[in-house]
Amino acid sequence: MTHEELLRDLAARESHARAMGGTERLARREARGLLNARSRIDALVDEGSWVETGLLAVSSIVAEDRERTPADGKVAGFARVDGRMVGVVSNDFTVKGASSSLTNMKKIGHVKRVATERGFPMIFLGESSGARMPDNMGARGMGTNLGQDPQQYVRTRATPWASAVLGQCYGSSAWYACLSDFTVFRRGAVMAVASPGLASFAIGQQVDAEDLGGWKLHSEVTGLADLVVDTDEEALAAIRRFLSYLPSHANEAPPRAPVPDGSDEAAASLGDVVPTSRKRGYDVRKVIERVADRDSFFELKPRFGRTAVTGLGRLGGRTVGFLASNPMGKAGALDVAGCEKATRFIVLCDSFNIPLVLLVDTPGFVIGIEGERQKAPGKIMNFMQALQMCTVPKLSVIMRKSYGQAYLNMGGGRNSDDVAAWPTAEVSFMDPHYATEIVTWGQDASEERKQSIREQMEKDSSAYGLAEIYAVQAVIPPAETRRYLAAQLEIHELRLSGGVGRHRMATWPTTF
Amino acid sequence: MATVDITSEVIGTVWKIEKAEGAPVEDGELIMILESMKMEIPVEASAAGTLAKLEVAEGDSVEEDQVLARIET
Repeated sequence: MTHEELLRDLAARESHARAMGGTERLARREARGLLNARSRIDALVDEGSWVETGLLAVSSIVAEDRERTPADGKVAGFARVDGRMVGVVSNDFTVKGASSSLTNMKKIGHVKRVATERGFPMIFLGESSGARMPDNMGARGMGTNLGQDPQQYVRTRATPWASAVLGQCYGSSAWYACLSDFTVFRRGAVMAVASPGLASFAIGQQVDAEDLGGWKLHSEVTGLADLVVDTDEEALAAIRRFLSYLPSHANEAPPRAPVPDGSDEAAASLGDVVPTSRKRGYDVRKVIERVADRDSFFELKPRFGRTAVTGLGRLGGRTVGFLASNPMGKAGALDVAGCEKATRFIVLCDSFNIPLVLLVDTPGFVIGIEGERQKAPGKIMNFMQALQMCTVPKLSVIMRKSYGQAYLNMGGGRNSDDVAAWPTAEVSFMDPHYATEIVTWGQDASEERKQSIREQMEKDSSAYGLAEIYAVQAVIPPAETRRYLAAQLEIHELRLSGGVGRHRMATWPTTF
Repeated sequence: MATVDITSEVIGTVWKIEKAEGAPVEDGELIMILESMKMEIPVEASAAGTLAKLEVAEGDSVEEDQVLARIET
């Protein structure tokens, strides 16, 4: 063969691999408004930056499948997102449902290993049916294919991982989505241990795919989805946005961004957002939006655990993590889902050197049988331990209520590097109303006496009471909050380690 | 003209309705106040227009995500 012939042969092989599962299958997807594995990569990465690995890989177990498995159903490689290197695995559902095989698992392993060792994020674009059959069947199938990589499902958070759930996600796509730091869900996609079909055959359960693993379940009940969007394009844009706040790896500080004009002006109206009446609710996201650099707040899990609000944002151009109680949900009393959300968020921030800003207005933890049945005390302690293990700067602002154990969990005392209070702050062990009932329990106390006890307790709960004993470092006007936090962020910068924390929770799970 | 649904963020009861049907509303203006866990929760217009329909009355129980009012923009 001449060089020309050899190159023609190579080009033909490459073009066959890039054709994926064939024009018919691709056209059907396009008609449904879905991108394919390769157009997803095009929409995700910087133009011209894609470097593929394993383009010519094919099935290696079933000989007849060699021609039918372009790239073996998982497109893998390296590229840049906003100029920074990333590793990508994009599942090609048109090739054997992107099922896991001996060859494509090697491809995933390689990209993950390189991303971890060379220090850049991994992105998983999920849409897969599970282990390939018959390849994985029987003792030889199992023994040859699965379980050959002892690091396959280990999360050390050496670098950030982001996942998109873009279709049916069973098997590896589901597992990687659950191991990721950020998971975006396209409406209509499904993530579950096994398909509704298998549930029907194996256990006789007739269940709709949406009920089994749809966006509503995962954004509202399980919290496994961080964000829900309508299209593939929006999902890919969300991954780019998420990564823009994060460092490429755990050993560097997050990137800085310019501060948009108008950011300081928005903060001036902070005092108007939070009512002085302790009985009046408000949406704490309005506070965060005014504290953060303009338009920088990126909320995570907005529909899950709504008693807490978590999200990334920037303050003076630096990435920060906002963790706030929200009086719009259960009057700001933190429930089990809120605790789980807070724990996971603290782990994320600590693992990637993102300082935490806690905004506090909570009457305490939700009490009662529902929470206890869901292990409320355990969840509260997971949250508390996460906060105390955390080595990134922690700044806390008590806006109104901060009661009981929740005072500690939301950074009160020495659980933050700096605590400021607004003049509306009130801190105590228990809401004075209930505390009065407890201390007069079993006594025949008159309304008058109860009133006097209540008033005494309320008076002792003020911001100034905290400031006098240096339990808060400052009492600040709401409108000063942004400026105050920006100054504290500068003071508490991790200079000795170049902005890098100790990551003591880097191997904690991603769900609790 | 489009209709914007105003939904409840919480489980609770309608405590006080502040705007009548047919009234013009600004974006962010208070429409009603709910009561949930002894907390007054303001419900604000998410768009400017006319308060075309109130779907609840004072004293009604409301569920999370329930439509409370509709605004014609």
